[in-house]
Amino acid sequence: MTTATTPPRTAEAPTGVSPRSRPAPRRRPRTDRVYLWFLLPTLVLFTLSITMPAAMGIFYSFTDSVGFGEFNFVGLNNYLVMFSDPAILSSYGFTIGVALCTVILVNVVALTLAIGLTSKIRAKTALRTIFVMPMVVSGIIIAFVFQFIFANTVPATAQALQLGVLEESILADPDLAWISIVLVTAWQAVPQAMLIYIAGLMTVPRDVYEASAIDGASAWKQLRSITLPLISGFVLINVIIGFKDFLGTYEIIVGLTDGGPGTSTRSVAMTIFSGFDNGDYAYQMANSTIFFLITLTIALIQLRLTRGNARI
Amino acid sequence: MQDFNQQASGVRAVHDTSSGLSAGFARGNPPDLGCLNYNYEIVRFQERGAFSDLADLAGEARIAPSIQDLIDQYPTYPGRTSVIPYSMMAAAVLYNEEIFAEHDLSIPTTYSEFLEVCGALEDAGVTPIYSTYADPWTVAQGLVDYSVGGRLDVAEFFEQLRAQGADAGPDAPVSFSRTLREPLEQMLEIAAFSQPGAASRGYGDGNVGFARGDAAMYLQGPWALGEIATINPDARIGIFPLPMTEDPEDLKVRVNLDLALWVPEASNAQEPARELLRYLITPEIADAYNQDNLAFGVREDAPAVQDARLQDLQGFVDRAAFYQGVSQAIPRTIPFENYAQGIVTGQSLEATLRTLDEDWARLARRSETEA
Repeated sequence: MTTATTPPRTAEAPTGVSPRSRPAPRRRPRTDRVYLWFLLPTLVLFTLSITMPAAMGIFYSFTDSVGFGEFNFVGLNNYLVMFSDPAILSSYGFTIGVALCTVILVNVVALTLAIGLTSKIRAKTALRTIFVMPMVVSGIIIAFVFQFIFANTVPATAQALQLGVLEESILADPDLAWISIVLVTAWQAVPQAMLIYIAGLMTVPRDVYEASAIDGASAWKQLRSITLPLISGFVLINVIIGFKDFLGTYEIIVGLTDGGPGTSTRSVAMTIFSGFDNGDYAYQMANSTIFFLITLTIALIQLRLTRGNARI
Repeated sequence: MQDFNQQASGVRAVHDTSSGLSAGFARGNPPDLGCLNYNYEIVRFQERGAFSDLADLAGEARIAPSIQDLIDQYPTYPGRTSVIPYSMMAAAVLYNEEIFAEHDLSIPTTYSEFLEVCGALEDAGVTPIYSTYADPWTVAQGLVDYSVGGRLDVAEFFEQLRAQGADAGPDAPVSFSRTLREPLEQMLEIAAFSQPGAASRGYGDGNVGFARGDAAMYLQGPWALGEIATINPDARIGIFPLPMTEDPEDLKVRVNLDLALWVPEASNAQEPARELLRYLITPEIADAYNQDNLAFGVREDAPAVQDARLQDLQGFVDRAAFYQGVSQAIPRTIPFENYAQGIVTGQSLEATLRTLDEDWARLARRSETEA
């Protein structure tokens, strides 16, 4: 029955094509051994410095190790305790919340800047260079500079202007300190997202804008109906990569609030790290295993989505 | 160090100032001789027998019994002398002698006198206390430790707490909620005399502010004196223990073993390490070190401190009227310093103590299932 509808599985050339012009049946090309040698150093380094430690960490998460000496297997105990530990749960809540807010802020600002910097304006190259600068400054330095700004400059300015609200440093307010972390993380992360958006905007052909301009589309309409759909792949990449990065925020928090006031800004990464020095090695290994699974899931989603959507 | 190298033949000691102690032990490659702050990070190595027995050297070290007790207040490894104390720091309230003299104030010896002093300063338009809430450790080691240590027997409290094991918790007979509540309420009364904006000031700001005379008192240890003297060489600073009761006899100072010596089991050069240790504990070396670093000696016959500012504390040290801070007896897994910061920046004392109790109980349960 089905044979009638399926084309014959023969290698016969379609009629009308001369055998001469048909490309010779090609076997799968063999990879040159040289390429494997190129791979080797990375593979060895990656295995030794990433894969092995990660595997060891997962192994230790099933023990009661404190990082040295003897240890016993405790099965899933670390994981069970973890899920009822308010300190860990709140660190997840805080980290995910901050990552979400930062990702939104970063993408709005980065896209706005990218559109501005790809339009016909003066001193475009100089401006691009300036906007990219935060990227090259180390996070901890940025954090300390902003710590000074939030702790001194902002309250002093607010006092001079009698603003009331900002006169007390937001770093000292357990309910507002997270905002400073979002702002500073975003400040540092915008350039990278902006570069990706600039690259994305350059892929949009000029003639679609010309065509839509002839049809009388406003700039806003162009942005919504042409630019955004055409760079959607870039948006996706920025959102997912950004979210994944912001989950691991560490040095900016250490420099700004060090997890305080109280424990209001303790991120997952900080909690995990505290386990190394505090004899909670195995327990925090369990925490980092869970954290790894979360970021892995996000990475897989990203791979999946970008394969289908963004061909760049 | 150079002197030792000249004397000892065949051994060359190298001073390794790197941190990352945990990593060293995890790799099985710790330093051969440790000479570090005795805190909970060290205690957990000690507790698990990571240090070799130094019982034979303990005799030579002739540690004063009251100071040896400080070691034994933490979990030790049974039947072993794991660490030898080397240097002790005593901390209390630093005060600006000029401001006190100017306003005709004498050193308070009771809690109500202390509040009176603060009130008088405030009335005179002087900030009584410079606080640095932005650095959580300063809150824990200053306000919290002084308030709690001045009121109750810290070592005994932890002994009882540990004896409860996993039965600990906010409603247990001995708990942070029950025992620390009153001292910490007093602490909040004291903290209210801090300068405005203390929440965004850190340790560095505090040293500058106090050295310049922005406030009359500063709850910091002698380690701050060096920096204060650099900022203002003319500052006249005195020290007194924070009175927390109405009885002047209750006055106590906070101490910590700033340096203690140990030789890891995993060291492959234990003999030379012990040789160096023996050299370091000779009176000439140890006494010179402690004088230079504003610290108290730990030997039975250690000489009194020379520094004029610290001499006021010598009597307390001699009488063993001292305690180790409550903040130093809580495993660092529990973010106690952050909790302390939370309390002074307006979070509920009751809720924080409850969390602390729950954290403590959870940790106790965890170590019980593991054992």
